[in-house]
Amino acid sequence: MSRGRWGGVATFVALAALVGAACSSKGTNSTNTKPIVIGISLSASGDFSDPSAAAKKGYELWAKTVDAHGGIMGRQVQLKIVDDTSSPDQVVTNYQNLITKDKVDIVFGPFSTLLSAPAAKVANRYGYAFIEPAGGGPAIFDENLHNIFFVQPAPVVDSGTVFANYILSLPADQRPKTAGYPELDDPFAAPIAETVRQKFEAAGITTVFKQIYPAETAEFTTIVTKLAHASPDIVVGGTQVADAFGLVKAMISEKFSPKFLFLSNGSNDPVNFPDKIGASNVNGVFGAGDWFEDEKSPGNAEFVAAYHAAYGPGPIDSTSAEAYACGQILQAVVSKVGSLDNGKIIAALHQGSWASVEGNLSWNSVGEPQGQDLLVEWIGGKLVPVYPASVALAAPTIPKPNWAG
Amino acid sequence: MHLLVQAVILGILIGGVYALMASGLTLVFGIMRVINVAQGAMVILGAYLSYTLFSSVGIDPLLSILLIAPVMFALGVGIHRVFIRALRAESGEEMSLLVTWATALAIEGVLSVTYTTNLRSTIPGYAQRSWIILGYRVAEVRVFGFVISVVILSALSLLLARTRFGRSVRATVQNPTSAKLLGVDADRVSALGFGIGISTAAAAGAVFGIIYPFNPGSHYDLISRLLSIVVLGGLGSLGGAVVAALLLGVGESVVAVMISPSWSSFVFFIVLIVILVFRPQGLFGVRERGAL
Repeated sequence: MSRGRWGGVATFVALAALVGAACSSKGTNSTNTKPIVIGISLSASGDFSDPSAAAKKGYELWAKTVDAHGGIMGRQVQLKIVDDTSSPDQVVTNYQNLITKDKVDIVFGPFSTLLSAPAAKVANRYGYAFIEPAGGGPAIFDENLHNIFFVQPAPVVDSGTVFANYILSLPADQRPKTAGYPELDDPFAAPIAETVRQKFEAAGITTVFKQIYPAETAEFTTIVTKLAHASPDIVVGGTQVADAFGLVKAMISEKFSPKFLFLSNGSNDPVNFPDKIGASNVNGVFGAGDWFEDEKSPGNAEFVAAYHAAYGPGPIDSTSAEAYACGQILQAVVSKVGSLDNGKIIAALHQGSWASVEGNLSWNSVGEPQGQDLLVEWIGGKLVPVYPASVALAAPTIPKPNWAG
Repeated sequence: MHLLVQAVILGILIGGVYALMASGLTLVFGIMRVINVAQGAMVILGAYLSYTLFSSVGIDPLLSILLIAPVMFALGVGIHRVFIRALRAESGEEMSLLVTWATALAIEGVLSVTYTTNLRSTIPGYAQRSWIILGYRVAEVRVFGFVISVVILSALSLLLARTRFGRSVRATVQNPTSAKLLGVDADRVSALGFGIGISTAAAAGAVFGIIYPFNPGSHYDLISRLLSIVVLGGLGSLGGAVVAALLLGVGESVVAVMISPSWSSFVFFIVLIVILVFRPQGLFGVRERGAL
């Protein structure tokens, strides 16, 4: 073949490449106008249906808000939400399908550690970032995955640390001398009280009562009878919701009112806690939480206003704020890296801190947030952030008043 | 010692309410050999009805028993007419388990849709008050619940012992074929018995809703306890159910206070197994029909 003939072929190939590149470029532009699809599995039925409904509100509110402001990188956001029926098996199938069949750009997490842990492994297998609102139990961080980002200020087991820090910050004459620890045998309850107990014992607060009770416990008077007999100054309940209500009801009935009462869950519920134990009995009870309606975190006032405009007045479930914060984090990181490349998103999120309604968040290598929750106390019938001072809306009221009955 | 006595008092009061819940279960089994695994769901339904009357109309939850018990009696008769009677024709004792389990799931589903799965509590003024009697603290609502249980169980006992209907029931329990030959309308007895069993669940539910937070799924734990009580007492034996419920209440309470709540259920089941090894028919049951 002559040199001239080779030159003609080369020219043809070059032209073809140019035309191809032009077409490809046009195709890319066309793709860039498509919505960004975010895949999410939530529970329409089963144990997690109620909190999943709250998460759905948060996700949808964020998508609606961001779309109203022009989307992300000029592209609208589209949520693809599928039902996992609260099943760990179904959630795996769902994320597998979202990633491999639907080829979503991004995934957000479901509700609960039980579902988030297996879902995170699927996302990790395909190199997807797993930004998740409600999987903060030890099981998810024990996976040692680099793609997880739990969008709350602290892991679940550390949610009592803020209370311990507050108590240990008190002057010596105000500090409790003895403590009691009723603890539900549950990975989201007992470890929280145990973390506090270790800090208290190290600081010289004597443990006079410690009782672990099984999940099926319905009768709390027996536990409180023994607790009242030990008469500790401070009670730290490693509780979930139902047992928290049961414990407090039994304390009221037994007329046992410690100087300090902290419950890891249950007392931080602005609606159900007063409803279950009586509104006149709530004052002085401490709890911890990741988000509260009145807090001054980035974008929170806008979130609260948008939520009420969309869903009406009434208390906001913190799960809605957590889901909304996932969107805020995604928006911020995509704006920073200028890409939907999940590898770049994962790398960027491990650097620095990220503003959201949940506060400024940062994570260690396995996705554990590095902050602390807010300490809240019921004051004047309202749940108020009281510690740390930087976010407090009121000073803590101590000691706890007696039960109103 | 003080703690032990306190635990025994509490256990007796708890046991009284469990006896009321279990009485309907054992009555229904005695009459028609149906293990009504929907009894726990019926208790929870009763708790919701009482809660609704209290929160929306302000009717005292204990007084509301007078309203919800007849309603649930009618529901029980209806369930018997539609589902249970058809099974009896085929001697479907095993099928009755499936039917009543399906009924429990249906009730749970309807309650979940109607009330959501959030926990509820009925809190009248006396819900969290207590008396000190001889140095021991006793919750008012538990005393009220115990008294209601005693009254209803006594009425039930009198109904069975002193009335024509009661004789029909006992005759059916002892020998259904002979009872029919003597003119007892077994279908009517069964339907009314089922209705009475369900209405006791209504009364127990009203008390349960004041003492414990509940949601539509609360019946799972409940039915396992109720079945344990009637098996320990002897299937079909009303007196046996009362004794077993008191044993359960006192045993769990004492173990929880003196040892650990983690052991309380375990100890009860150990006692249950040991007794069944030596008396497979339960404490007051008999090997053949006729325990009621």
